[in-house]
Amino acid sequence: MTAAAKVRKVPTYCYQCVAGPDLLTVKVVDGVATEVEPNFEAADIHPAAGKVCVKAFGLVQKTYNPNRVLTPMKRTNPRKGKDEDPGFVPISWDEALDTIAAKLNAIKASGNVLDESGFPRVAASFGGGGTPQSYLGTFPAFLAAWKVIDFSFGSGQGVKCYHSEHLYGELWHRAFTVCPDTPHTKYVVSFGANIEASGGVCGVYRHAEARARGVTRIQVEPHLSVTAGCSAEWVPIKPKTDAAFLFAMMNVMLHERPRQDLDLNFLKHHTASGYLVAPNGFYLRDPESRKPLVWDTIRGAAVPFDMPGIEPALEGAFVASGIEVGADDDAWEHTSTTVSPGFAQFLDHLRPYTPEWAESVCEVPATTIRRIANDYLDHAEVGATVEVDGRVLPYRPVAITLGKTVSNGWGGYECCWARTMIACLVGGLEVPGGTLGTTVRLNRSGFARLSSVRPGADGFMDYPMNATDAEHWKSSPTTRNGYRMLVPLAANTAWSQALGPTHLAWMFVKNPPKGWPQHSLPDVWFIYRTNPAISFWDTPQVSDAMTKFPFVVAFAYTHDETNHMADILLPDATDLESTQLIRVGGTKFIEQFWDYHGFALRQPVAGVRGDARDFSWIATELAERTGLLEPYNAAINRGGAGIPLNGEGWDFRLDETAKHSVEDVWDAVCRAASAEITEGESTEGLDWYKEHGYRVAPFPRLEWYLFPRLVDSGLRFEMPYQERLWRIGVELGRRLHERDIHWWDNQLSEYQAMPKWKDFPGLWEKAVVKAGGKTEDFPFWLLTARSMQYAWGGNVGVQMIREVAENVAGHRGVIINAATAEKLGIEEGDLVEVGSTLRSVSGKAVLRHGIRPDTLLMIGQFGHWATPLAKNFDTPSMNSLTPMDLDLTDATGSGADVVRVFLRKVRR
Amino acid sequence: MTKWAMVADLRRCVGCQTCTAACKHANATAPGVQWRRVLDMEIGQFPDVRRVFVPVGCMHCDDPPCVSVCPSTATRKREDGIVTIDYDICIGCAYCFQACPYQARYKVSKPTFAYGDDNATENERVRFKAEMMNVAQKCTFCVERIDEGTAKGLTPGVDPEATPACVNSCIAGALHFGDLDDPNSNVSRLLEENESFRMHEELGTGPNIHYLWDKRS
Repeated sequence: MTAAAKVRKVPTYCYQCVAGPDLLTVKVVDGVATEVEPNFEAADIHPAAGKVCVKAFGLVQKTYNPNRVLTPMKRTNPRKGKDEDPGFVPISWDEALDTIAAKLNAIKASGNVLDESGFPRVAASFGGGGTPQSYLGTFPAFLAAWKVIDFSFGSGQGVKCYHSEHLYGELWHRAFTVCPDTPHTKYVVSFGANIEASGGVCGVYRHAEARARGVTRIQVEPHLSVTAGCSAEWVPIKPKTDAAFLFAMMNVMLHERPRQDLDLNFLKHHTASGYLVAPNGFYLRDPESRKPLVWDTIRGAAVPFDMPGIEPALEGAFVASGIEVGADDDAWEHTSTTVSPGFAQFLDHLRPYTPEWAESVCEVPATTIRRIANDYLDHAEVGATVEVDGRVLPYRPVAITLGKTVSNGWGGYECCWARTMIACLVGGLEVPGGTLGTTVRLNRSGFARLSSVRPGADGFMDYPMNATDAEHWKSSPTTRNGYRMLVPLAANTAWSQALGPTHLAWMFVKNPPKGWPQHSLPDVWFIYRTNPAISFWDTPQVSDAMTKFPFVVAFAYTHDETNHMADILLPDATDLESTQLIRVGGTKFIEQFWDYHGFALRQPVAGVRGDARDFSWIATELAERTGLLEPYNAAINRGGAGIPLNGEGWDFRLDETAKHSVEDVWDAVCRAASAEITEGESTEGLDWYKEHGYRVAPFPRLEWYLFPRLVDSGLRFEMPYQERLWRIGVELGRRLHERDIHWWDNQLSEYQAMPKWKDFPGLWEKAVVKAGGKTEDFPFWLLTARSMQYAWGGNVGVQMIREVAENVAGHRGVIINAATAEKLGIEEGDLVEVGSTLRSVSGKAVLRHGIRPDTLLMIGQFGHWATPLAKNFDTPSMNSLTPMDLDLTDATGSGADVVRVFLRKVRR
Repeated sequence: MTKWAMVADLRRCVGCQTCTAACKHANATAPGVQWRRVLDMEIGQFPDVRRVFVPVGCMHCDDPPCVSVCPSTATRKREDGIVTIDYDICIGCAYCFQACPYQARYKVSKPTFAYGDDNATENERVRFKAEMMNVAQKCTFCVERIDEGTAKGLTPGVDPEATPACVNSCIAGALHFGDLDDPNSNVSRLLEENESFRMHEELGTGPNIHYLWDKRS
């Protein structure tokens, strides 16, 4: 650097992972980005003091990576396949955009955006957790202008996420994801929630602060993750038996501790514990109002749950009259029949699940389970209160968190239900110190969780279920994963498609089941920041399906395994090269709880390399070339760029008939954002944000918690008895059977009023037998864990990330228990083969003591064969070993990252 | 007097390597060179096993063995405790590599870049330091930031501009930097309030990274 070098620091944001966004500055020397630093000016407004994690430090190399695609390209080899050279050759932007537009215009000309099977002719797949939205510019407005898009080809959603938590969490407490109230909690039991790897900057920062404060966290999981390393205790549980542990915790709390240790007031008045259950398993209801009845111990009579001044019974059996309403409005009239509260049934339900029983399932000593259950209860401080923003709330400093593979796939419902109910037992759901939801994605609005609370039936929050009644049920799939047909809980909002059973879209390319339409492929498939050929399951099958897609448009950073099958590559300007304003603050997953909310800008820090273009420019060009400029601009005006451009007292809407520059669009968005956050007082535009980076206003701490909003709305938590889910399940079963569809019957078994333990690990063993194998030939559980350095980052081609990630155990191979390895004659660094019934992979042995002897671990998602740099890693991935199997698909449409495998040494 | 030292709180560190990356950014080190890095260690055997993350680097020892073995006097210890290397004087003999019990030193013999040695990227061309070829290199406690910061009246360990990049970047609040000779400095207070140890203290080098592991009762 010369003395005369021109140096400046440019503020921007990082949203490479779902735990963001976070704020940073980039040092620019003579027009070249050189260093990333935290945004120190944001230290007081950001939950993690303005810090960014290691992934953000990869952005400089990401920008200057010589392997980038820097010009539009087209495929010249019409044959598609892993072993086919795509023959990509550079083309002009005009040729690329005109080629895409021609395909889209042909669809328009056909007069039908749906094909003969009823599926959208245009599909799009974006990467994990919605992070691409913060880099897509105005492309969502283009998709909105097109209107009908199939988002159902998953890149990891459903199979790699917290799927049951997403769906049941939103139902029960508006919790797309769940976390402790970390700054105020004292005792956390984490079932595989690898927060130190997947919780982002805010997760790491908040938990480090909590540890310094003296919080106790127990980490229950088969391998000693980064998070377990940072916990007070590691409990090595057998994979997929977490529900048994949780059931046993409830058993201890219910059947070994005095009832008064529980928060009985919370159970009576803030849950459905008192609702009377009638002989057919549905609530006993008032014949006229159809409100559920409770047994009022003051009056000694059954009364509607919401009658003022009552004291509902939680236990006992009572004789009462009323009606019972089942599926499809089946109704039974009862006169002087014996009924009992849901809580009483819950007590009976949990009675068999003792710690001694759980020990036989989990392979965790009963004494450990009992101790943890008692410690949880002892730390709950039932009866304590705390003042938040001038309001007195219950204070319950205990929480339970669930990780990936625990909270998805079979057993996920049971774990989520148990976790939520354990919180209710101590009154610790959605109160300070307790178990909190972070945000909503299936309920509206997506950025203001509490505003999604709407009164529904029976004193519960409303939930936008996909209909299961005969009149409104979707009898055939509207997209290729059939989320509206098969998964009522998936709802039908912007994120719903991606939260359906996304593997069905891939599976059914080969073998569509009975009752499914011809599983056509989309005429045009857009892909961005996603690589399902690596990140999904049975990746060779997914790759093979991709070869059949007729026209694929990939926004391409480098060549990779998915865009290997593309027809057009478009180089978008990357993280440090393009412009976008996003919402920040409030509450959001994974642990983003701010005391502020507002907006932050991403901006070009040092020019754009090659012929890459801003995503918003690409979107505008496509809109113009497809004759959609007006609806595209209208979509932007409505909020397609993240915020409506007009409000009370301000109007920055774009002329819908004109073509606007990127700068003009984002200037209007910035002005609207300024007006919104200042309630019309200020209207600073893009230049202001370029200088300052962000603008925020205070966000009330009270809005971290759902409980006060429920109280104010006269609503309660839908716990413990799941009458609504059971009814929906019965209805869904009837609808499917009416169409002679029986391949979803296993999934229907998940709809239970109170879930029972099932042999969840056994399902994976049965899958081995079904595939023609013998369980004894596949004696190991193969699991995965997130890599903080890589997860969601799309940064596998960044050299520095690889270099520093290798400091963390497991990034160079497969983790094997050291004693197991010794028995098999395997030494550190030996080449080993790990195989499932599908196929095998090989990699170097990494011997560790922090893993169960029957478990293997492959961190992250590697196995690249096309991505520059990454294709030389030689780090194995479990993804090609994991089958897509309906038997391993739960009712929410998700599966878990588990597979039975063999292990053998190949050579030293 | 001033004695600069670092404190690493092992209860907080998560081994994320953000400090490793921040150091690489701040000091433009070549691929494979990590003046700051975090070890991922296991202690015990299944099931009684713990995992601990330990940030390491040059310890800026009170009695640094690297200084006494340096034949060219390139490695020196400043009055404020920072061990420095004068790249103009260093002959790259690597005696110091052998002497350092902390494996803190590196040498890069030829220009080395992330995507191939003939393929320096734009940012690497801007950051390339020819004076660091064929000489010993290691953590400097970001000495330039400290000197420039203190010249402006800033306090290292408090003001980011005067603080080592690794400390600034730490997302767990595990790394701290400050003046041990100031009893009111952040690091002095942390050492007063917590149990701590230093790595290989038995060797008598007087290392100046202090590891916190528990609250002092």
